[in-house]
Amino acid sequence: MASAPPLSPDAARSNLRTGALAFAGALAMLGLGYASVPLYRLFCQVTGFGGTTMIASESKARAAAAAATGQKISIRFDATTAMGMPWTFHPSQATDTVTIGERDIATYVARNDSNQPVTGVATFNVTPEQAGKYFNKIQCFCFTEQTLQPGQEVTMPVLYFVDPAMLDDPNMKGVEQITLSYTFHRAEEPLAAAPSATK
Amino acid sequence: MGQRDTRMKKAILAAVAAGLAAFAPLSVVAEAAAPAAPVAAEAPAATTAAAPADAAAPAAAPAAAAPAADAASAYTPMAPTKGKGMPTDPTSGEPGAMLKSMHFQDQYSANGEYALWMHDMILLPVITAISLLVLGLLLYVVVRFNRRRNPVASKTTHNTLIEVVWTIVPVIILVIIAVPSITLLARQYETPPADAVTIKATGYQWYWGYSYPDHGDFEVVSNMLDEAAALKAGEPHQLAVDKRMVVPAGVPLRIQTTASDVIHAFAVPSLWFKMDAVPGRLNEKLLTIKEPGVYYGQCSELCGARHGYMPIVVEALPPAEFAAWVKAQGGSMPGEEAAAPAAAAAAPAAAPAAAS
Amino acid sequence: MATTAEGFDIHHDHGHDAHDHADHKPGFFARWFMSTNHKDIGTMYLIFAIIAGIVGGAISGIMRVELAEPGIQYLQWWAQFMGGGNDLNTALHMWNVFITAHGLIMVFFMVMPAMIGGFGNWFVPLMIGAPDMAFPRMNNVSFWLTVAGFFSLLFSLFVPGGTGPGAGTGWTVYAPLSTSGSKGPAVDFAIFSLHLAGAGSILGATNFITTIFNMRAPGMTLHKMPLFVWSVLVTAFLLLLALPVLAAAITMLLTDRNFGTTFFDPAGGGDPVLYQHLFWFFGHPEVYIMILPGFGMISQIVATFSRKPVFGYLGMAYAMVAIGVVGFIVWAHHMYTVGLDVNTKMYFTAATMVIAVPTGVKIFSWIATMWGGSLQFKSPMVWSLGFIFLFTVGGVTGVVLANGGIDDNLHDTYYVVAHFHYVLSMGAVFSMFAGFYYWFPKMSGRMHSELLSHLHFWTFFVGVNVIFFPQHFLGMNGMPRRYPDYAEAFHFWHQISTYGYYIMAGSMVFFFVNILYALAAGKKAEANPWGEGATTLEWTLPSPPPYHQFETLPVITDAHDYHDHRPATA
Repeated sequence: MASAPPLSPDAARSNLRTGALAFAGALAMLGLGYASVPLYRLFCQVTGFGGTTMIASESKARAAAAAATGQKISIRFDATTAMGMPWTFHPSQATDTVTIGERDIATYVARNDSNQPVTGVATFNVTPEQAGKYFNKIQCFCFTEQTLQPGQEVTMPVLYFVDPAMLDDPNMKGVEQITLSYTFHRAEEPLAAAPSATK
Repeated sequence: MGQRDTRMKKAILAAVAAGLAAFAPLSVVAEAAAPAAPVAAEAPAATTAAAPADAAAPAAAPAAAAPAADAASAYTPMAPTKGKGMPTDPTSGEPGAMLKSMHFQDQYSANGEYALWMHDMILLPVITAISLLVLGLLLYVVVRFNRRRNPVASKTTHNTLIEVVWTIVPVIILVIIAVPSITLLARQYETPPADAVTIKATGYQWYWGYSYPDHGDFEVVSNMLDEAAALKAGEPHQLAVDKRMVVPAGVPLRIQTTASDVIHAFAVPSLWFKMDAVPGRLNEKLLTIKEPGVYYGQCSELCGARHGYMPIVVEALPPAEFAAWVKAQGGSMPGEEAAAPAAAAAAPAAAPAAAS
Repeated sequence: MATTAEGFDIHHDHGHDAHDHADHKPGFFARWFMSTNHKDIGTMYLIFAIIAGIVGGAISGIMRVELAEPGIQYLQWWAQFMGGGNDLNTALHMWNVFITAHGLIMVFFMVMPAMIGGFGNWFVPLMIGAPDMAFPRMNNVSFWLTVAGFFSLLFSLFVPGGTGPGAGTGWTVYAPLSTSGSKGPAVDFAIFSLHLAGAGSILGATNFITTIFNMRAPGMTLHKMPLFVWSVLVTAFLLLLALPVLAAAITMLLTDRNFGTTFFDPAGGGDPVLYQHLFWFFGHPEVYIMILPGFGMISQIVATFSRKPVFGYLGMAYAMVAIGVVGFIVWAHHMYTVGLDVNTKMYFTAATMVIAVPTGVKIFSWIATMWGGSLQFKSPMVWSLGFIFLFTVGGVTGVVLANGGIDDNLHDTYYVVAHFHYVLSMGAVFSMFAGFYYWFPKMSGRMHSELLSHLHFWTFFVGVNVIFFPQHFLGMNGMPRRYPDYAEAFHFWHQISTYGYYIMAGSMVFFFVNILYALAAGKKAEANPWGEGATTLEWTLPSPPPYHQFETLPVITDAHDYHDHRPATA
């Protein structure tokens, strides 16, 4: 087979080096693509991007309470169940008014309406999005999976506070109400119980 | 921004106070005077919240007997106004219909009016001028520098001045565009006041559910009407639905969206409003509709087979009629069950807190 | 086209060929299936792109005919034809399959193979004075991966995809519609097709970067390279950096679909919005991947037919670099309605508008190139003039859409459809036709008919404008994208748009007749049919160029400024 006149060994080596560098660049971007999953999560958790809430330690909660000025803010509680989730899920109260900086407890009620045990996992965010950075949870049912027996109804608490630092943030000016939203999804069944994946 | 916020807040509070004053003590709807009725209506409301099925009038009927039934019949879907809140048919024969069909729908929210102004007064002139400038220059060089008129080409390949000019001038134009653009964004992101009327729109494959968490948490399930039913109802087909999203006009609304299965988007062109409904998260935006009317919209994110068959109809009513509609759905207005009728008018600001 | 170059003058030059090492060609199978010759591979890419373009264009015809009237006319028939059920949902699903296939085919199997695989392969080595690409065998692998990708996509049309046969996810393949929302293997095959095409493109990009960096003829410095080579260099970098991110994203889709991972599934802690970020991190550079080589071709053509060097060469080259760089930091303007906070939206609004500046530099530089020139309106030039105007129109509507607050109304409406068809269906496609008519004599050794190519231009120009200009009106009036059915109010402009399609489709007859005519009876092309304005190296070679060129490398001397790319002796 006729091919182009062969390159000099030097030229061929130089080509290989450049080609390998370029290919390494592509591989690096591929790695970055995968790395973006944990990086994006981390980014959201640190900056509150997309209305991601913060997880607060006891000490942070105490510091926030000490900084409380007595100003109030309204909190709205929202509940959704995703497709295929046979639960009834709603907040015990639609809204509450809390003192900024002081911890408060809210409860949600969930009932399994199906005739088999169902494990649920909750996703969450707050609106407006810029409030994510200031909405701190100390304890939340959303930290772990929840399993409900058929017909079982539970009241689930979330212990939270709103960081008084929000009062100094120009982006939070005019925010009178923060909505805390949860969506309950049916947790992925253990792999053994999911034969649908193969076809 | 801060000043505007407080101004807006005052205006809103005044509007809400006026709204509450209008319906609470004066009982615009006759039976609303009975403070027991909403309490009775609570029970079915709670159950309807569980089942995302019919939360419509029938559910309320057994609870509140005759008066509530009256209220249910008191609501009839508003007839749409031609050319308002819907696309314009260029072939309708009405004067100006052709031109109107080539442009945005008339806007019925303050932000929509501002955005439309920005488009018509800044963007459209600028882009038209740029396109015509380029077209003009092209035609000029075609005529002036063709081979017959200009057989010998110049060898000019640089002119620093003109290169700087055509870099700087676009930058200036873009800055001119950016100022109203940023202003518009800032306005669109103003947050709803604490007592804004909250409606949560949930996208399903392939219909919308509208729930009213402050009004008894009932959910209205909204399906598209088929062509025959739409035409019979005097509505545009592909846009009409059986149960509308009814809201009060002139007061701030907190529109929240989420989805149950895949991503949908809640969009109403005549309100300049579009927000994705993403499963697993809640989005929120402030909307104030200037006047009563029927405003049509459509799902605007590809969501599967019937993506084109899940329209949105927002019906804005005067606050009092909205309250009547809420009752007809078996819901209750916030503050009603807590505050005595006489006190309701005096304490509108406390309403959201009391609602809990 | 089916045989390049040498095919036409086999008889003519046969005796000579036999003794000429440069034109020693392998047998048919080895030549076309195991080809390592950049010109042959370029030809195969072009033929492949034309075939894919016919398929993708036919699908858009199906869509336009369906949209001519409100209601569902033909989709049920198509659903059954493709092996689906007779119900409305399957028919509507077919619509989504068509929009998906049209988008993927036109992007990955028509525009990219034609621009980069076709013209890039053919002319980058010729323009820089290289004997071939740096990795000729990898070049072949790239091509066949692209072909395999196309077959994987076509195959996906005939297997179950949830509510009917085929993948109905849109070319964006958003999760969760593409994961939990689409059962069946169709989406897997569609995703796999992107993997194959993407892998081919990444290999191709590596090849181009190496070729352009290492294989330039002596004296051909970076700043002496023709702008088309610059454009392919920038494009190759965009491919290299953007496509792997797409590959990662769609691989995660595949594992979410089949292996129980939850990268984009909220139930497992994933986020569907992240998929959109990843997709558009690729997707926005992708639109520049589709248009930058067009920019390069237009620069060559405008200079050639103005008999003037390109105005502001360095500005032109670095404007492309700037567009490429900025193209990586504007992606979320495709996601304005997804729920971004105000600062994010303001940033992306501002960053997006910045792109208008280097783009404006290019448009004005093309006009300045013509200014004072001696313009000759050969077919490549009229297509280029059409490109400059229509691309401007598409560009300015992009400035409108860049405003996050304005996009709240226009997002996912026909206004967006009109915008990106003005920059692609008119921008990229006009530049491709310009390039095709510019280089066809070089590639085939035959002259096409100027009359037919002018007729093609004018009818195509009218056709595409009639299709897409009314779509601005539809979008502003509220017509959403990706709808097979609509309210009566949208009927009129949809009908006009469909008439435009008929004009455009008819116009393509001129194109095909022209190719056939040229191959069968076209005048023999000289080495340089375009006259003194054509200054790049490919015009120093005979038409068609010999099977192997530049066995003695041309030397570009400093006596020439960087606007003339020929060797000093030319």
